[in-house]
Amino acid sequence: MALVLGIETSCDDTAAAVIDENFHVHSSVVESSIEQHQAFGGVVPELAGRAHVTTIAPVVRRALLDAGLDPTSPALTGVAVTSGPGLIGSLLVGLSSAKALALAWDLPYVGVNHLEGHLFAPLLEARDLEWPLMTLLVSGGHSLIVFQRGPGQHVVLGETIDDAAGEAYDKVARWLGLGYPGGPEIDRLAGEGSSKALKLPVSMIGDEYDFSFSGLKTAVVRATQANHEVALADVAASFQAALTEQLVRKLRSSLEHYEVKGVALAGGVAANSALRAGVTRLATEFGLVTHLPTMAMCTDNAAMIAAAGMYHLERGEASGLDLSARPNWHLTDVS
Amino acid sequence: MNVVAIETATPACAMALRTSDGTERSLVVADERHHTEALTPGLHGLLVEARLSAQEIDRVVIDRGPGLFTGLRVGLATAVGLALGANAELVGVTSLEVLAHGAHRAGVRGVLLCGVDARRGEIFVQSFNLDEGVEILDEPSVALPRAVVDGWSRNPTPVTFTGDGVARYDAAFREVPAGLFFEQLVPSPLEALRLGVTRPAQSQVRALYLRDADAVANFSTRERRS
Ligand SMILES: [Zn+2]
Repeated sequence: MALVLGIETSCDDTAAAVIDENFHVHSSVVESSIEQHQAFGGVVPELAGRAHVTTIAPVVRRALLDAGLDPTSPALTGVAVTSGPGLIGSLLVGLSSAKALALAWDLPYVGVNHLEGHLFAPLLEARDLEWPLMTLLVSGGHSLIVFQRGPGQHVVLGETIDDAAGEAYDKVARWLGLGYPGGPEIDRLAGEGSSKALKLPVSMIGDEYDFSFSGLKTAVVRATQANHEVALADVAASFQAALTEQLVRKLRSSLEHYEVKGVALAGGVAANSALRAGVTRLATEFGLVTHLPTMAMCTDNAAMIAAAGMYHLERGEASGLDLSARPNWHLTDVS
Repeated sequence: MNVVAIETATPACAMALRTSDGTERSLVVADERHHTEALTPGLHGLLVEARLSAQEIDRVVIDRGPGLFTGLRVGLATAVGLALGANAELVGVTSLEVLAHGAHRAGVRGVLLCGVDARRGEIFVQSFNLDEGVEILDEPSVALPRAVVDGWSRNPTPVTFTGDGVARYDAAFREVPAGLFFEQLVPSPLEALRLGVTRPAQSQVRALYLRDADAVANFSTRERRS
């Protein structure tokens, strides 16, 4: 049995997981340093890097033990680690540890693109996945529409030209005096408000499949300044509806032009209830299967990195020990 | 005992290996800011040269700082990975004490001030007395070179300066009337190793940052998450 250990430290989560060649998850451990960042309203890179250094070994050890493996001589076939994109000081911790482990165990290892990892997440949950697949990958750092012919074969159709979707949530949450991260709190509030309370624009600028969210944030600021009486829940509902509308419209446009069998959501914003509902409605309308990841698969985890790593290692695409971290590694540049 | 030492507190990437027969090997890669690229290949090279498998490493000695944060993190992450994967012991030493031991072995005696470049116009400093072995005189701290120079200029005690932090502010340190210089830019990985073998193993080694994370933080919200 092929078993791969995945390691993920691209942002504030320290994660390790073990999966097999059938994409069964044997263990998945995620240790977040998010509480340390909340007072700052965003991830503080230096804090994240420091936290990874103290948590990486215990997290990897636990993932191995949870999978029934001996940390000294685990019956693994390889190691996969996120080598970009992400915070450089965070990426380096996972990458350095992965190299050391590969050296200690005399195993091949591979540097994986974090976004490609997100694209592999549906494979860990759906056994009946049919290709091609259209994936909407939305998180605090990224917003992309990706056409996938098969695992590892992806074409980026569009992406955000300014803020990421999750970033827009965080910025609006901060403007409204809500906590960080903003997504879950706005989603909760939106359920109690009216999405028609504020007239907000659904930006369709940019290329056909590209997104833009900075204008929406500005519109929220203006609208709430002009109307002090509007309830917080109504602002949240109106903002969430406008943002979701843009994502769904672009996704619709991609489905009109590409023949696919299913639609998948990926990334932290995939946990958003309005987006899940909107994408499900859209897919149903097109007669397509919807792949909605569980919450643990939406957010950063190492099982998805192990899955992408398994794919590359099976193709003999191991990395050299001299690999560098690539903080700005674009999905288009993944070969 | 087969011991590996990792030294990444300064721009250099340095490492050493001592095998159970007492043979010592070391490697110093002077490429600035390439710790990630150079460290594991370097360690692999030393192991191959010694015909040793990584599994046979019994102890990993790591310089836990103070020094460049990125280098320290790469070094520590590599050390904990190696210790976990090879079931080896872990021991931390500090960059400043490694410099002090390096100076002592080279014959420097009397009072020694070690300075490691902290960037942003500051240096990490600690003083030692090398008359009988290496005696610690104060705690490691972060300081302005000007303040250190002014302090020693008022002090009639002869003092030797060493470290890349001293070299960076060489002109200022030359103002100290009783000052002597021992050139040593990179804490010696062999010295770190020799120091590390004398100490009890630790369950966890923490980096010695000497500067709060929020003091170096940039509060950008453009940082990606999930
Ligand atoms: Zn992510």
